[in-house]
Order: sequence, then C-alpha cells, then structure tokens
Amino acid sequence: MKHKKRKERIKLLLINCILLVVCFATLVPILYAFSVSLNEQNSLLSSDFSFIPRRLTLENYRKVFVEEPVLLWFKNSLVLAVVTVAISLCTGIPAAYIFSRKRFPGRSGILQMLILLYAFPSLLSMTALYKLLSPMGLINTRAGLIIVYTGTMAVFALWNMKGYFDTIPVEIEEASMIDGASPVQIVTKIVLPLAKPTIAVTAMMVLIYVWNEYIFAINFMTGENTYTLAAGLYSLQASETSGSWPVFAAASLAVSLPILIIFFALQKNMASGLTSGGVKG
Amino acid sequence: MEQSKKKRKNKILSSYLWSMPSLVLICLIVIFPIFYTGYISLTNMNVYHWFDYDLIGFSNYKEALLVFDSGFIPALLLTILWTVVNMVLQLVIAYLLASLLNTKGLKGRNFYRTLLIFPWAMPGYVSILLWKTGMFNSQFGLLNQWLEKLGLAPVKWLASDGLAFACCTVVNLWLALPFMITIIDGALQSVDQSFYESALLDGAGWMERTVYITIPSIRPIIAPSVVITIFTTFKQFDVIYLLTQQAGAKTGAHIHTILTYAYENAFITNNYGYSSAVSMVIFVILILFSYVINIKPKEEA
Amino acid sequence: MKKIIASFLSIAMLMGLLCGCGAGGQGLTEEEKNTIVIWHDKEEAVAEALLAQLQESVPDVDVQLEHKSNLTEALKMVGNDPKAAPDMYFFAHDKIGVYAEMGILTPITELIPKEELENAYVGMTLDAATYKGEIYQLPIYFETLLFMYNRLYMPDERVPATTEELYAYMSEKTRGGHYGFVEQHSTAYYSAGWIHGFGGYIMNGEGEVGLENPETIAALTYHKKFVELMPGESEYATVNTLFQEGKAHATIGGPWMVSASRTAGMDLGIAPMPVIDETGLPISPYMGVQGVQVLKYAAENKREAVVKVLSGLMQPEVGIALAKVSGCAPAVEACYEREEVTSDDVVMAMRQTAENTIPMPNCPEMDIMWTVAADMLVNINMSGQDVKASCEAAQQSAEDLIRKMQ
Repeated sequence: MKHKKRKERIKLLLINCILLVVCFATLVPILYAFSVSLNEQNSLLSSDFSFIPRRLTLENYRKVFVEEPVLLWFKNSLVLAVVTVAISLCTGIPAAYIFSRKRFPGRSGILQMLILLYAFPSLLSMTALYKLLSPMGLINTRAGLIIVYTGTMAVFALWNMKGYFDTIPVEIEEASMIDGASPVQIVTKIVLPLAKPTIAVTAMMVLIYVWNEYIFAINFMTGENTYTLAAGLYSLQASETSGSWPVFAAASLAVSLPILIIFFALQKNMASGLTSGGVKG
Repeated sequence: MEQSKKKRKNKILSSYLWSMPSLVLICLIVIFPIFYTGYISLTNMNVYHWFDYDLIGFSNYKEALLVFDSGFIPALLLTILWTVVNMVLQLVIAYLLASLLNTKGLKGRNFYRTLLIFPWAMPGYVSILLWKTGMFNSQFGLLNQWLEKLGLAPVKWLASDGLAFACCTVVNLWLALPFMITIIDGALQSVDQSFYESALLDGAGWMERTVYITIPSIRPIIAPSVVITIFTTFKQFDVIYLLTQQAGAKTGAHIHTILTYAYENAFITNNYGYSSAVSMVIFVILILFSYVINIKPKEEA
Repeated sequence: MKKIIASFLSIAMLMGLLCGCGAGGQGLTEEEKNTIVIWHDKEEAVAEALLAQLQESVPDVDVQLEHKSNLTEALKMVGNDPKAAPDMYFFAHDKIGVYAEMGILTPITELIPKEELENAYVGMTLDAATYKGEIYQLPIYFETLLFMYNRLYMPDERVPATTEELYAYMSEKTRGGHYGFVEQHSTAYYSAGWIHGFGGYIMNGEGEVGLENPETIAALTYHKKFVELMPGESEYATVNTLFQEGKAHATIGGPWMVSASRTAGMDLGIAPMPVIDETGLPISPYMGVQGVQVLKYAAENKREAVVKVLSGLMQPEVGIALAKVSGCAPAVEACYEREEVTSDDVVMAMRQTAENTIPMPNCPEMDIMWTVAADMLVNINMSGQDVKASCEAAQQSAEDLIRKMQ
C-alpha cells in the first residue's frame, strides 16, 4: 500500500514537471514580449537577448498609459464588448432555445447551413459589409460595429447554447408547465439558471472576439478616438519608419491582461459550458 | 382539425419570431456578404469601374477558373495536408494535456490552465509577429541564439519549404490549442467515472480505457467545436501569409494554401469582380470538401 | 400572444439599432465646411510638425490630422463616402494612379493655378505627381534611399566609390556575425536601384513591364553575388537592427535611419551611391514624393478651406520644418535658398542623391509589380532559382495579372 502511494506521488511529480515545461514553452514568446517591453532600446531584435533586460525601464508602460489614449480605447472596447455580449445573449438565447426545443419546418436545414457558411473566406466580406452599413449611416458608429460583431458571433452563440439546452432534460420544464407556469417564465426561471455555464462561456467567447478584433474596428471607425484597444494597438504597431517596438509590446501585454483576469475568474464555468456546446451524442 | 392546423401554424410562426433577431443578424452579417460577393463576381468592379460597375455576366468565372491552373492543385493538396496535420496534432496534444490536467490529486490545475490559455488572450497578429521576429529570425531569433549557445549552427527557419511548414504548424498550434484544450478538458470531466472503475476491475490498461471509454464518450461532445476548427484551419490565412509571404518580408519558402495562392493571383489585381469570382469558386470547393469527408455535426432528429 | 408581443419587441429593438443612428444630412454647416480632415501614415514627429505649421499659416481652418495605419486599403473602401472619407490624405505619390482611376481625387490644378505650381516646385516632384497629364498631388517633400556607413568600422577613405570596391569590402569584412554591407535585398523597392543602374526597369513610365529585359536580368545576376554576402532575411527589422547594432558596416536605407542611428550614438556617414563598374551609372533607387492629395468630395464642397490649406502647405516654412524632422528634401524650390536647409547634410545628400533617382511609377499596375517583383527576387536570391527563368516567369505572371485588372 505504501509502495503504491509512493508511486502515485512520483507520478504526480512527473506530471507537474511536464506541465511546467509545457507552460514555460507556451509562454516563451510572451516572456519575450515582456522583456522587450521593459527594454529601453527601440528594437524588437537584439543580438544579446536575455529575458531580464540589461537596461530595465518601466518607461514604455508609462508611455502606453500616459501618451497614448489607451484608457479611452479601453473604454471603447469595454462599451462595445458589454453591449455586444448583451445583444448576443438576448438574441442568441431565445433562438438557441427554440432550435433546441421546437421542431418546425426548416429547422435542421438552417442548422446545417449555418455551419457550412463558416466555410466562406472572410477576406471579401469587409467590402460587402461596408456597402451594407454605409447607406444606413452606420459607418463610424459604435452601432455599426456592434451589429457586425453580434452577427459574426451569432452562429457560434446559437450552436453553442443550443447544444447545452439539448442536455437539459425536457422533463423539468414539463413539470413546471403542469404547475401553470407560462413559457416565458419557464425559460427565465428554470432554463436560464441551469444554463448559466453555457451563457458564461458564450459571453466569454464573444468578449474575446470583440477584444481582439481589429480589422473591422480600423476600417469602420475613423479617427483614433473611436478605436478599440485592438485597433489602437494595431495603429501603434511599429513600421520601418515610425513607432516603437517596446511601447507596442507593453501595450500588447496590457491589452491581454483584462482577458486573462476574466479567464481565471470564469474557469469553472468555462469548461462545462464549452463542452456541452455541441450536440448530445 | 382546423383548430390544430391553426395551432401548428402558430407554433411555427412563434418559433421563427423568437429566433428572428438572431437569424436576422446572421442574414445581415454572414449571408449577405456571400450574396453580395456573388453579385460582384458578375460585375466588372475594378480600379477603372470602382463606383460605376456594370453586370457583365460570367466572364469573371471564365478567368477565375484559369487561376486553378498548374499552381492550384498543389496548393489545394497542401491545404488538405495542412488541415490534416494541424487537426491531428491539435487533437492529440490537446487530449494529452487535458488528460494530464485531469489527473486525480493534481494541485494547481487552474494555474496551469490559465497559463496554457494565455495565447488566446492576445490579438492573433501580435502573436504571429512575436513568433516571426522573436523566435524564428535567423540573425536574432531566440531559437538561433539558443542553438548558438549550444555551439550549433544557426538555422534559417522560414527559408525552406519543409521547415517553414513545420514552423507555421507550431505557430498555428500555439494559437489554436487553448481553445481545444478547454473543450477537451471539459469533456473529460463529464465522462462517467463509473465506467473507468468497472474497466479497471476488468484489468483494462490506459490504452484500452482511452480507446474504448474516453474517446467514444467525448467524441459527440467535442464534435461541433472540432468541425468549426477544421474550417478555420482550412481557411487559415494569417499564419502562413504573415510568417512567410508578407510583402517586403518574404522568406523564400513557397508554401501556398488555396487562400494565399488566390491572394497572390487574384486579390492583388484590385479587380473585385474577378477576385469575388475566385472567392465564390473557393467557397464551392470548401463545401464540396466538407461533403466529401462528411464533416457535419450530427443532429438528433 | 405574449410571445408574439415579445418577438415584436425584440425585432423592434433590432430595427431601432439598425436605423436609430443618425444619418448625416447633406448640407454642410459653416463649421463643417471649415474643418479639414487629413489622413496620414507618418511618424508622430512629422505629423506634429505639419500640424503646427498649418495652425500657424492657416489659423482660421480647423485642420485635423488622423493617423491611419492601413490608409491605402481604407481609402479604396471609403473614398466616395463623405461621412467616412477624409478631405485630403498625406501619402507618397505612387498611389495616385489607383485613386485617380477610381475617380476619388481632384487634380490640384483645379484648386491652384498650374503656373503657380510650376514656379514653386522642384521639377521632378511635379513629374512624379502627374498621372495621365494631370497633377494629383501637392508635393511636400521627397525621399530616396541613401548610402550610409558607420565610421567606427568604415573609415571615410574606405567608402566604396564603385560596386566592385563595395564587393571587395564585403568579401573582406563579412565574417563572424559581421557584415560589410546589408540591404533589404529581396524587396522591389531596394533592388530597383540596382536594376536602374543597369538601365533596366521594373515598370517604366508607359506602364510596360521590364522584368525580362536583358538589363534587368544582367542587374539581378550581378546583384546576386552581393546577396550571397548578406543575411538570409531581407526584411527591415533584421537589416536595420544589424546596422544600428554595429554589426553591419554600411547599408542602403531611408532617411528615417539617419536620426535613429545618430540618436543611438553612431558616427554616421552619408555617401553618394556606388557606381556600377559595368555601366558607369550609380545605383539609382526609386524616389518617392510625399504630399497631399485632395478628395473629390472635399474639393466640391469645401473648396474655400481646401484652397487655404493647400496655399498654406506651399509655404517654404512647411517644407523646411518637415524636411528637418523627416530627413527628407523639401519640394518647394525656394527652400534651397535658406541657410538652414543648405547647411543640413542629410537634406542636401538627399537632394543630391535624388538627381539620379527614378520616381516610383504611379500607375495602378504598379500595385501588382511590388508583389510580383518581390516574388521574383525571393526566387532568385533566396531559393537559388535560375535568374533568367525566374525573370521570364515573373514577366509572364505580371502581364497576366495586369490583364486581369481590366
């Protein structure tokens, strides 16, 4: 028995070692960015790179927060993210619920088609979306971007939440139906609390998408004051003639931090939500 | 009879009404661009007719099919190879890591998971840029600095086809694994532990448990996410383009997927009519491809 | 019933979202007419200098500079949308053909009399700004590549006067992680200098492709032996870092390298381009003219403010201020009568080198050439393919793509 315990311990130690090595390997590029961000010299490259820069400075972080309108971009991103998440959930939940519970003509056709539409190369959809939004006066407005973002994530939201609803036994709802609850009550009082994990995950995915998306944000918003964090970051990107790599690296890391915090907070919900976001076998 | 018909009609109507907002959004943002691209592909929208284009019929398609010349078939094969290699590696590595994360008695699970998920929290172009300049650069990249310290000769990571393909795969894995690990990790938690206990009693080894219990149990759960990932891998453009073909920073490797091939042979002409036709043809190929390998999420009737 | 009401509400919400955001009225207010938005992609110092100059010379117009990192693509999309497009943009002259063909640009001569332009500017800048007989750009300054060297390694007397001298220097000094000379050898912009030095061209003024001309092939064959003594990477980060860290003794680079190197404490020298032994011509890079283009909508609706801004930009002070911060040469001829310009070695070197340069072609076809030529150079320099075969294949593919533009 004792022997077995020891074996178990060695196994755990080994697993911890493997995971540590893998985590380190994963983080190498990020540590690289971190080191560049602490560096005084304006270069992404250096012949004597070390993870702890020789001339350490926090100046680049100061620049990010003081000289660049990062806080404004942060606010823009936050507003966009919150509204997009809200609309995605408000439109996605009823649709996912209906597609999960109701049988009606066209239902499975629509579901299949949505997945196939994923195959369309998005390289060209920008011009099309521009032509769509422009006549409506939605270019250069937050509403325009929000529509694009919610629409882009709508397929994912629908599939993901529908899958989870599928795993919630119908019997629970039927029981309350007998008790005289209205359909809307059933959804809000019974289904939604049960579906919290999938809602959290869908929200998270939408949030990450909005947070990291820059192509639409740059092209549909003119002017630095309306940029989101990702778009602002893109404009900070150094080119041959201008810009500062360390500031860019510092900004990249600063942008990722809020997402990581939310990740950590949502860990428990995320796993169970994402996985059920498929189809019950 | 009349009543029940009406009721049924009502039911259909209300179903559509409830899902309307979501479907309208999808129509606007996902479906409209496809139709619009289809429409543009029938016009002569190019630099010389940017705002005053006319319908010209199918002549763009005649040109578009010429793109699918000698260079296209290798690009298509490479795309398929790329998708297969990436998906297999992604699934295997994600599965192994997720299994490790699910080891009984492992402390610091959340810590490891957050670290492993880090790449997800950065915009993709930042990550690719970091890899390209920070890791793979032959003069200053970390990899070559490490090789030098070990007394080995520097390697031109992105200059030859095979190595560049491997490097692109590494970066793509780095970008895609967080999502896959999260999914498989969660799926593993949902496997009924009692199956394992009885299997252990029967004396089944790790391999047998994996093949006969774990994989069948998680397969339906991860299927839709895998399908979506297959499509994203198939149409992956950024990783390969930014690493090896970006204008002004080409590295000498010639790895072309159908999208990068189409980009260099159609999109740079600024002829939207023509490049739309190419896009539509690629779209059709993708749909055919998905039918051939029969990847569509199964849906209960 | 409740359900139906709820669905209507949610649709209404969506519709509200779609339509609620105000559509701009057509008539412009006085204030709008007096606001000029200029897009640019320049470094902060240049933008600040430009803004300061404009605020001084045209104080009654509200000029707003906006940095756009993907300016050229964005303009294609928003070019005729008054709500999203800028009034002017500040960029190199090589894109005017594309936008002129699209019909989003107004010729400068419709706003400023042609004679006035011809009297004010260095001739070659106006030539560069002319597409199909019309001047579409108000030049501000012009730039080209310079031969730079690090005096710590390359003393003045060893600066090569000819390419063979350069090759001898490279063969001697390229070892142990040090390079005698580096450049972005496989990009079209940098290789063009060598091609022009042999009398070849990537694309000439008539829009003809010259990739398989014997001169071009000779140039690339000759150039290849230099490339063999340079690092494999050809992109700017590697090349510039090598030079700035003192690992490369000399380079051909843009004016932006000058200030960066001097700030880092390098004793930097600038020399005329080496002369190619075989032809007796110096390496002759492309020249780019940076200037302001006016969008049609702005010219039609805000004529008064646009003319004011253009006149402001024609002041020699603007050219001088911008030349100072960017290290480029002002386009206004009168600037060269000023002491502060003639005493600036970078600006004067730029002006001098520019005598032998060739303006970048500004026709829409050039967009394709950048990619095709770079592909060809990579095939020759990095993948070791046969020069002649690569050139012929590139010529073919360029002509093919140009045909497809129509």
